[in-house]
Amino acid sequence: MAFHKGDVTLSEVEGSCIMQGKSQQIHIAGKGAISAIGNNVAENFASLRNLQTGVSKITVLTTRYAETLPAAEVKLTNEELAARCGLNSNEPRTALFSLIAAKEAVTDANIPDFKKWRTGFVSANTVGAMDKTETIYKYFMEDGNTNKLIEEDPYDAGYVTELVANELGIKEHITTISTACSSSANAMAYGARLIKSNQLDIVVAGGCDAMSRFTLNGFNSLMILDTNPCTPYDDNRKGLNLGEGAGYVVLVSEKVAATLSKKPTTTLSGYANANDAFHQTASSPEGKGNFMAMQGALEMSGLAAKDIDYINLHGTGTPNNDLSEGIAVQRIFGAVPKASSTKPYTGHTLGACAGIEAVYCILSIENGIIFPNLRFQTKMKELDFTPVTELLQNIEVNHVMSNSFGFGGNCSSVIFSKAN
Amino acid sequence: MTLYINGIGCISPQHTFDNSVFLPEVKEYATNRLACVDADYAKFFDAGSLRRMGRLMKYGTAAGMIALRDAGIDVPGAITTGTALGLPEVSQKFLRSLIEVEETIVSPTTFIQSTHNTVSSNIALLCKCFSHNNTFSHKGFSFESALTDAQLLTLENTDNILVGAYDEVSDYKYAAMKKTNELRQEPCSNLDIYGAQNKGILAGEGAAFFVLSKEKNENSYGSFIGNKTFYKPENKGEIRNHILSFLQENHSSMEEIDVIITGISGAKEVDETRIELNKNLFTTQTILAYKHLCGEYMTSSAFAFWLASKILKSQQIPDAVILENRNRSPKNILLYNSHKHNHSLMLFKAC
Repeated sequence: MAFHKGDVTLSEVEGSCIMQGKSQQIHIAGKGAISAIGNNVAENFASLRNLQTGVSKITVLTTRYAETLPAAEVKLTNEELAARCGLNSNEPRTALFSLIAAKEAVTDANIPDFKKWRTGFVSANTVGAMDKTETIYKYFMEDGNTNKLIEEDPYDAGYVTELVANELGIKEHITTISTACSSSANAMAYGARLIKSNQLDIVVAGGCDAMSRFTLNGFNSLMILDTNPCTPYDDNRKGLNLGEGAGYVVLVSEKVAATLSKKPTTTLSGYANANDAFHQTASSPEGKGNFMAMQGALEMSGLAAKDIDYINLHGTGTPNNDLSEGIAVQRIFGAVPKASSTKPYTGHTLGACAGIEAVYCILSIENGIIFPNLRFQTKMKELDFTPVTELLQNIEVNHVMSNSFGFGGNCSSVIFSKAN
Repeated sequence: MTLYINGIGCISPQHTFDNSVFLPEVKEYATNRLACVDADYAKFFDAGSLRRMGRLMKYGTAAGMIALRDAGIDVPGAITTGTALGLPEVSQKFLRSLIEVEETIVSPTTFIQSTHNTVSSNIALLCKCFSHNNTFSHKGFSFESALTDAQLLTLENTDNILVGAYDEVSDYKYAAMKKTNELRQEPCSNLDIYGAQNKGILAGEGAAFFVLSKEKNENSYGSFIGNKTFYKPENKGEIRNHILSFLQENHSSMEEIDVIITGISGAKEVDETRIELNKNLFTTQTILAYKHLCGEYMTSSAFAFWLASKILKSQQIPDAVILENRNRSPKNILLYNSHKHNHSLMLFKAC
């Protein structure tokens, strides 16, 4: 199984580094993001520092709930997004976000001779081309008219990835992960593993998702949407707000990192994927999967719980998620480090959230800054800790954990560390 | 790296879910849409769950459970799966309901099952598997990526990995395929799709799961040596080079290969390349085809993986799959499949 120009196969690395746990470091050479709080990393960073939320009235998506359910939309039409990235505006909104953020990440990495390395694109999404299909589907239902059908199935997640890979000129290894809200965390982990096993040198990894009536109505039917801007980790939290966007990082091997003019600031030092095996959409009360994911990521990084300076919580704002996650965090950490959910800024961007939040974690490390959990007021009575409520600046942030938990009990945690 | 295939489970448009037999008879279809032959799902799920579960959820989950039972394993070390399109029928049921009621009141039952990871996590839920659980959804690379994930997991010291793939033909997909004129003209028979005059594919579906382990045992079917994917090859020469370098990377050669499983499907432009390879590269091997059995779908290579497993263990090749017989004893099997821009190779050996 080799996907590359080189000659090393998995069988040859067997018994080498990864078996002994002394695998090479995965450096992060570039990052890119688009969300309701900014169309690039700089704009996202400015909004985070200015405590500027992206949650507001729905104006881009056509839906019955425009006036009643707030969400964190990117306030650009598909035509405006297409103009920014060069794709056709008829392509899924998910792909437009993906290309904008992935291109920014690749440009930011500025890798000399990008083409000479074995490069992969591992992207995540959960809605595929749903935004196109949900409009066309009506005609199909009315009279079986197939003229308007698009060839892509509504849930063809790989279609979005290939569109973007083609634009980025990446051919060597392409795949898509779709594990609900943990998707892009798993994309980063899979990318790192492909580098550690010496199949690839560079992986652009992350995820994207667009708002759709499908997901809005789905989450609404589960009665877990807040009719006001969400308040994660608050005792009076009512649910989540949906969001949209994309976030990517450029993962590189040590060998590639050594060639860069701009030295990577951050490494992906740990990751783990566990399953809660409790319920299709709800977390177990004790957060078993959450606990195992955090524990696994810590083990891989070789860090102790006390080494973590900041936790970017999954913190969706649903009663169930925040309670299970909070209990698991307390069990792992005892004395819980500084923690916050950035979903009050971006909403829950589903398959994109771990990618966008990875960018925020890196910004935290690079700038010695921790972003607050906006709108928090009342401590949860079941928990001993409260999230960070003010912007913390000029502090040492060396290790950050980021959690992403999803439907199907999929729980993933990743850890970012300051590069030596 | 060698992984032993220690358990299999396959639900397809043929009678494949019973591991004690091997294609006893081939089911003939007089349509261009092949649908899974259902197993007795009451053996796997209680009545309440069965009512709520969509069709793919049933046959996907059951195929996984059959593989686990076949391997005699209660809890696998990890679960990793591929599905190109997730669960389109239940997803579209939800979509239809929200369009019909203009977004007023919809039931969450189908939405809950609509994420691509539903089958993989349902198996985890049933067998209480708390470890690594992944779902790849990338067209013709979905199952292939899950196999790569399984190989990486093995290197990372996980054993007895449940790996599989599943897809279904939805009404929407079928209509879209009709629109693009990909489908075979009806009337037609799945038993006659490879002739030069017959063009067009059969829409297919299925689920196949495997338990891959580091050690072989008395139930081992054979070994899975490795796989390789490549995207958008520029010409036939590039495909040929990929095949030869893949064999070399896995310390094998064309001479050593006894059997080729080809993804020939009835799709004219794609088959042209496959037929040329059959003529020029696979000159001494027995050549098999399988898409008349399961139809064309993006994770059909999982059905081919099942076919390879059964052949290796039984050392029998059913007549129904032979395209070109060179009377080779099936010890080393190479699979070459492609779906549009996604090409994949897999290598198997007898134990």
